[in-house]
Amino acid sequence: MTPPQKRPSMLGRILGLCVISAILLVSLNGHAADMDITLGPGDNRAGYESLDFESRSISLLQRTGEAGDLLHVFNSPPLGLPKIPVAPDNPVAAGKVRLGRKLFFDRRLSLNETMSCAMCHIPEQGFTNNELATAVGIEGRTVRRNTPTIYNVAYFSNIFHDGRETRLEYQVWQPMLATNEMANPGIGYVVEKIRRLPDYAKLFENAFGGRGPGIETIGMAIAAYERTLVSGNSPFDRWYFGNDEAALSEPAQRGFRLFQGKAGCAACHTIGKDFALFTDDDFHNTGLGWQVATGAEPSEILVQIAPGVKVPLPQSVIDSVAEPVSGDLGRYEVTQNPADRWRYKTASLRNVALTAPYMHNGAFGSLRQVVEFYNRGGVPHSLLDPLIRPLELTDSEIMDIVAFLESLTGDNVKTLVRDAFAAPIGDRH
Amino acid sequence: MDASRNTIYGIAIFSMVTIFSLVGLSARANETGLPSDMVKITGQEDFVYVWTLGVEGIGDEQDKLVTVGVNPASPQYGRVVYSVSVGGRNEAHHMGFTFDRRYLWCATLDTSKIFVFDIHSDPARPRLVETISDFVAQSGGVVGPHTIMPMKDRMLITGLSNNRDHGGRSGLVEYTADGKYVATYWMPTDDNLQGAVKTGKYADGYNYDIRAMPRMDVMFTSSFTGWSNYMMDFGKMLKDEQAMKRFGNTFVVWRLSERKPFKIFDMPGAPLEIRCAIKPSHDYAFTITALTSRIWLVYRDQQGEWQAKDVAEIGDPATVPLPPAFTISSDDRLLWATTFLEGKVRAFDISDPFHPSQVYEKQIGSQVNMVSSSWDSKRLYFTSSILSKWDKKGRDNQQFLKSFEWDGQALKARFVIDFTREKLGRPHEMKFGAYALYNS
Repeated sequence: MTPPQKRPSMLGRILGLCVISAILLVSLNGHAADMDITLGPGDNRAGYESLDFESRSISLLQRTGEAGDLLHVFNSPPLGLPKIPVAPDNPVAAGKVRLGRKLFFDRRLSLNETMSCAMCHIPEQGFTNNELATAVGIEGRTVRRNTPTIYNVAYFSNIFHDGRETRLEYQVWQPMLATNEMANPGIGYVVEKIRRLPDYAKLFENAFGGRGPGIETIGMAIAAYERTLVSGNSPFDRWYFGNDEAALSEPAQRGFRLFQGKAGCAACHTIGKDFALFTDDDFHNTGLGWQVATGAEPSEILVQIAPGVKVPLPQSVIDSVAEPVSGDLGRYEVTQNPADRWRYKTASLRNVALTAPYMHNGAFGSLRQVVEFYNRGGVPHSLLDPLIRPLELTDSEIMDIVAFLESLTGDNVKTLVRDAFAAPIGDRH
Repeated sequence: MDASRNTIYGIAIFSMVTIFSLVGLSARANETGLPSDMVKITGQEDFVYVWTLGVEGIGDEQDKLVTVGVNPASPQYGRVVYSVSVGGRNEAHHMGFTFDRRYLWCATLDTSKIFVFDIHSDPARPRLVETISDFVAQSGGVVGPHTIMPMKDRMLITGLSNNRDHGGRSGLVEYTADGKYVATYWMPTDDNLQGAVKTGKYADGYNYDIRAMPRMDVMFTSSFTGWSNYMMDFGKMLKDEQAMKRFGNTFVVWRLSERKPFKIFDMPGAPLEIRCAIKPSHDYAFTITALTSRIWLVYRDQQGEWQAKDVAEIGDPATVPLPPAFTISSDDRLLWATTFLEGKVRAFDISDPFHPSQVYEKQIGSQVNMVSSSWDSKRLYFTSSILSKWDKKGRDNQQFLKSFEWDGQALKARFVIDFTREKLGRPHEMKFGAYALYNS
């Protein structure tokens, strides 16, 4: 599964410079998520760069939950979010959502029965994968891009980092059929497989007025579930839209002013009068994709081999065990317009503290690194988006912006994750 | 498990007595890390079974169990005798005999299937008699069965990953010898140490190999990484800062009879294979960390407490030679360790287990992974493949089984089988077979 975006492809018009780096932790595996099975990987590796690292692993048996009222979430979007668009031919209903959730977690829906949507969109990892820069598909095949979160995907019409799909109902089929993701050999193969699975008996018929599994109903069921994964009412929302002055910390308030002002992030990560999606749903070139495609490889790379231990490995050693890397031209691959080379969709920033690593290729492990990237002015080249320029942010300003970004976590995240934990994982019996 | 197979297993158990009387049984002996109380081939082995990964574009592209003739007295010496394809590329990896050595369980890290072969009816031509395809569901979500350790009537199986996040937290799974699920034992984690003492800073919940010393009622487990990493392209992973944080750093000591962990040691850098000393007076075992290239000794001190000590390095750890496999000789004097990225094997004198010293080194190929030794230490066999997506690319992707003779001074090449030219795939683990085990 690979729905919409995630990456702050442009934190607006970028941010300044700075050094330091003590704070880290910020997002992925962040301190707030410490030992909380619903917020971050249960295998918490925060601080692994240091010799002082201590494990904080959580038993998989703790990963339990209870079904939530997802329909209520859908019908009453949280503060800070608009009414959820309804597909006229696919109204969201409880039975359909339950069925979609079951499909989402069913590993049998891949050719060799190892991959489900949820093996990449992992609930406690922000419905993305905090443990990989770019995804790994069936038989370990390489997926070029970072797994986008599906939080709030209901609002977007440009789906995937390159916007190649327009509706969730259609999008669902791409990973199921992609040879490097779930690798099903055909649509009919999937339909017939589900039809034969006894635990799906009557579920489609009951959810779709008598219609059984099919190309439309499978897409509609999963899309219905995904549309309920709406998360808002964050500390920022309660402060900005709810007028609760105590809801947002001072640093986050300062960060917000920079976000809209000096740093210019809001030019792309938009905030409206009554709601904020934190994305313009458009495509921008930050220079990162261009750099990967055209830059020279370093002669050696620092590779971490143990907590606090990194060694320089010659590029030649890495090349000896690396398959050829596929190119990635971003939006151009959809439009064939040379001006669209290395443009990627602006990711929403909602729940961004939960969705590391960042950018379309997972290049940055922390929000601070992202802000520093924009503060440098991205990677200058002829196609760089004109909104991106050096920002001259101070270190404390960078930290304030990070504090603001961390304030965008919705208050129902735990509910949605625990609901996901309650879903049965489909394995061959 | 069907009824006919249960019958076969029943006969097998009754036949054990016969087996013990026919083969040079030695409770002290060890071919390549088999349980101390299991029947061994003490003379010349007839076959090496090679669990082989299918490769797209090569032959039938499926995983297969390949039988190679290795008895010099046989006209089949140095040749592929037989192969059985099992369907699919499942990431074939390790294997384990049933305790009676009549069946061979072949595990897979991707689809988590376990293929069970009858190897006693015709040792040259293993027959697939059962496929356990519900391992993940039965175990409650353990993915990637790895080491299969036989006990009298049970099989203990390490898992490397899980069906929730494809990360490294996993468990031990117990089956009966006739293939019925018994229980799952999750690895100790920080929030649930299960009574174990965390001696250092880590309790990661990861898993890899398992070995036991029944006379002391202990078993040991090591720790590798989860599905996302072991299935991923190696070059891609080395560049992925997040992925490189997801390796195991722990070694766990368990009470064998209770299946309870009681001590967790820090071993930074993915301790993989475990080999127990063979002599009854030797209360110790070795493991080697793959990423940090260190030999660790796990031993019982004078107070009877289990301790762990970093006792030697392999090659130059700064260059990450990546030692994935090793074996020790049946007299506990030599430790043979391969280094995948270098393609070398090194022999260490471990007469003093606290001070291993390298005594020999040889280039085996452009890459090398598994090493298996005959019980008499005269023959060593090497295979090339570590994992389907980790093997070298291009011309360095040599795929072979190589046989060598050890004369006490040097390894002398005997035969080579090119698994690519033979259209077989990537050879991984080896187990030995012999007619003498079953002649009655």
